[in-house]
Amino acid sequence: MPSRQIPYGTLRLRRSNSDSEALLTGGADSDRQADIIVREMEQLQRLMEDNPVSEELRRYGPKNREALRDLPQGLTMKRTVRAKLSASVSLRSKHRPISFYKRLKYRISFALKKGRDRISELIFSIEPWHEAIRHLEGQFGSAVGSYFHFLRWLFALNLLLAILLLCFVVVPQVLHDQGNNRTGSMGFLDFVSGKGGFEDSVLFYGHYHWGDVTSFGPLTYNMPFSYFFTMISLYLFFFAILCYRTAYSYRRNFIEIAGGLSNVFATKVFCGWDFGIVSQHAAALNASSIYNEFKELLSEQNKKHVTMSLWRRMWQYMVNVVVTGAVLALVAGLQYGLWLLLALKTEVQHWEIFVSLIITFVVALCPLLFNLIVRVEYYKARTALYVTLARTGLLDISTLTMLLVYWTQSDTPCWESALGRETYRLVLLDALVSLFLLPLVEFARGFIFKLNPNSGAPEFNIAYNSLTLVYNQAVLWLGAVWCPLLAVAVALKFLLLFYVKRECALRACQPARKVWRAAQTQTVLYMLVTLSLFVTLFSVGSLFLRGSSQTCGPFVTYTRVWGVVSEGVLRLPERPALRRVLSFLTRPGVIAFLFLSLCVATYFMRARARAQRSMVDILRRMLVLQAKDKDFLLAAIDKVSNGEWLYNPREEEQAADSHTLKYLQEVRKPSNAAYHFDVTRLNHSMSETRPHRADTRPHSYHVDRRRRSEDGDTDSSFSWQGSASCLNHTKDQ
Amino acid sequence: MGNKIVTFTEQQLEDYQVNPDLVPKRMTENQAHTIVVPVEEIEKLPELKENPFKRRICQVFSHDGSGNLTFEDFLDMMSVFSEAAPRDIKAWYAFRIYDLDDDMYIGREDLLEATRLLTKGELHPQERDEIVASVLDEADVDGDGRLSFMDFEHVVVRAPDFLSTFHIRV
Repeated sequence: MPSRQIPYGTLRLRRSNSDSEALLTGGADSDRQADIIVREMEQLQRLMEDNPVSEELRRYGPKNREALRDLPQGLTMKRTVRAKLSASVSLRSKHRPISFYKRLKYRISFALKKGRDRISELIFSIEPWHEAIRHLEGQFGSAVGSYFHFLRWLFALNLLLAILLLCFVVVPQVLHDQGNNRTGSMGFLDFVSGKGGFEDSVLFYGHYHWGDVTSFGPLTYNMPFSYFFTMISLYLFFFAILCYRTAYSYRRNFIEIAGGLSNVFATKVFCGWDFGIVSQHAAALNASSIYNEFKELLSEQNKKHVTMSLWRRMWQYMVNVVVTGAVLALVAGLQYGLWLLLALKTEVQHWEIFVSLIITFVVALCPLLFNLIVRVEYYKARTALYVTLARTGLLDISTLTMLLVYWTQSDTPCWESALGRETYRLVLLDALVSLFLLPLVEFARGFIFKLNPNSGAPEFNIAYNSLTLVYNQAVLWLGAVWCPLLAVAVALKFLLLFYVKRECALRACQPARKVWRAAQTQTVLYMLVTLSLFVTLFSVGSLFLRGSSQTCGPFVTYTRVWGVVSEGVLRLPERPALRRVLSFLTRPGVIAFLFLSLCVATYFMRARARAQRSMVDILRRMLVLQAKDKDFLLAAIDKVSNGEWLYNPREEEQAADSHTLKYLQEVRKPSNAAYHFDVTRLNHSMSETRPHRADTRPHSYHVDRRRRSEDGDTDSSFSWQGSASCLNHTKDQ
Repeated sequence: MGNKIVTFTEQQLEDYQVNPDLVPKRMTENQAHTIVVPVEEIEKLPELKENPFKRRICQVFSHDGSGNLTFEDFLDMMSVFSEAAPRDIKAWYAFRIYDLDDDMYIGREDLLEATRLLTKGELHPQERDEIVASVLDEADVDGDGRLSFMDFEHVVVRAPDFLSTFHIRV
């Protein structure tokens, strides 16, 4: 058989094929189907015990899924199956008490699962904008829907951040402020720039009290502790959430589909239609986009696939490298220009507003520029998109890092507040651009399209809008430490953004003509947000470890901000032993060792993943060989049923002359050579006897054998020939 | 479609907890498994109205293959298309939907008809033949000229957008 050719064997699960076939045909009536399912489930011993633990196992399944839920049968069927299961369980119940520990463990896991279900139900019932997003998806397709999902998820995240910050940091400060009076003039430009009356307000870091807050009653609230610990724990918590979300998205959209990217036609046919489309216009567009993609694929397939010469490939590679270098140089140049701009001390009033305005415009226009640049390069469409996203992400993160570096290096007396003011201005001006300016542009384009339908229809630019969201989120991560109310501002901004973008899309945009693959792009966007948070964590963390501002803020009493932990909480000056332990742990050697072990663990995981991938490859090839097996056996069955019998009843012992030998060698060759090895059946021992038998054979078998032996997969020690007819033939001689 | 509200017993509620985000929108029946909604009414639902496979979807989920759905069948349908349905279940039902002649294999005629429905009849027959040949070429592992469930699942489970396109939001 073809599959015996391969030198390795893999473990094959025994399946009761007849049962699966019966299930699949669906011809059996429902009762019999239920019986089949129950029989299969009965084989799992754990499910069948009669005690409350197994009852819950039957309902919830060992891996937190309902064992019944995963069956692709209708509800009626599942109910029947469950009834039958319970019936058969009560039939063979043996009351075996399980240990208290196990029962407790199961109870806890089921309670957790139930709790998780309830929480997700609760979240679903209070999900905002559910109907609105559904309407948009129906009009525009699931890609635009994915943008609004992203927006909604970020909004929820920011809202949570804002609420926690308000509770723990802002409100105590406000209570403290009520004790002292404050006056200050606030002009409009002050509102935009954050200076003047706003400078010393709850908005910015510099205002926060450095000691205890006592408002009423005997309780005191230590401001530095709360500020520090709130910030650290919130950042770490959100970092964990983002990592989890990114990893989940990456696993679903990149890893699980490995190996499936080459089935372009099949994917197009089976996953081309977006089942969520509701409007007729979008459906017509979907149909025509599928049509266009088919034509494209066909033409690509039909044209002669010329393998590019080495020169051409090298040329393309060189162009890509050069353009990437140019883009990196452009970004570096922009940062340098920014530095010069910031360092320029002019007499112009409100110089900071101009700088922030310039930054906002650069960040708003660069994605479009990168989009144009990437067309010069030689990338596939999807890779071009990722490259553009990565470059824009790089620009955003480097701009923000440059701002951070500038303000920490500058000599202004309260640089934290200055940085907070900078981020506040950035958010405000970007709100101006994205909430007012861009929608105006979109409406104008929509209006022009209405007047002149021949010009290109304005489509909802998912990439650009998603990048705006990522930029805002990155600014928030940087600014939340220095300006706690920024979280509230950004949450509010996202709220308004949802409604504005929805109106824009509904009134001014047309559904996209090309189908946009949203799933993998979402993963890249999550990665960008996580990366920006990581960079912020890293830079702010290193800042906190080194020093703190002595003139303002809640940490003036500590030489280093980290002192909040070391002196305030752990009281290290009073505990030299603990201090020695900690200083040992933070030595470079220890850190390097930890880092090295992390690298080893990563390498191990990667090696395991690679091994599993090659295993998948092997199994895939086995699948193909099994199919060839099936073909081979079906042909053999065909032949047998046509009257050609492989085995004859064994003749009496004859003298060991050529007849018996021929009989042994020709007819009694077993089909499973693996069972026992007989040297007479080896190919080479028969080679000399073969030629003279060739001409005694009837014609058709001879042809069969020729064809078989030319097929490289067939084991040529197999030969059907010489069965009954040949034997008769030789015996007659 | 009336405004009658169906009240569930506790046991029924538990049975229907197939996918937690299932919220039946239109309750039209008093009895969940006897009253049958004819297929023309189902096809008028906004979620299915523009779908080229709507007739086949109704046939797959109906208890007798005719397309008329009881309330339970309707719940089945919505739960398979919802977001929380596992990938394997979606693949199984997608296979049955694309298997237009119901012989448990997606053959050439099924694929031809599917491509015709997807493009609303715009492709030439010759182009359709080429497409079908390519699909069989890519997906047919055992070489019998038609796609069994295993072939189909092999392709579809690895498609990056299967979960997002095979999804009706309730």
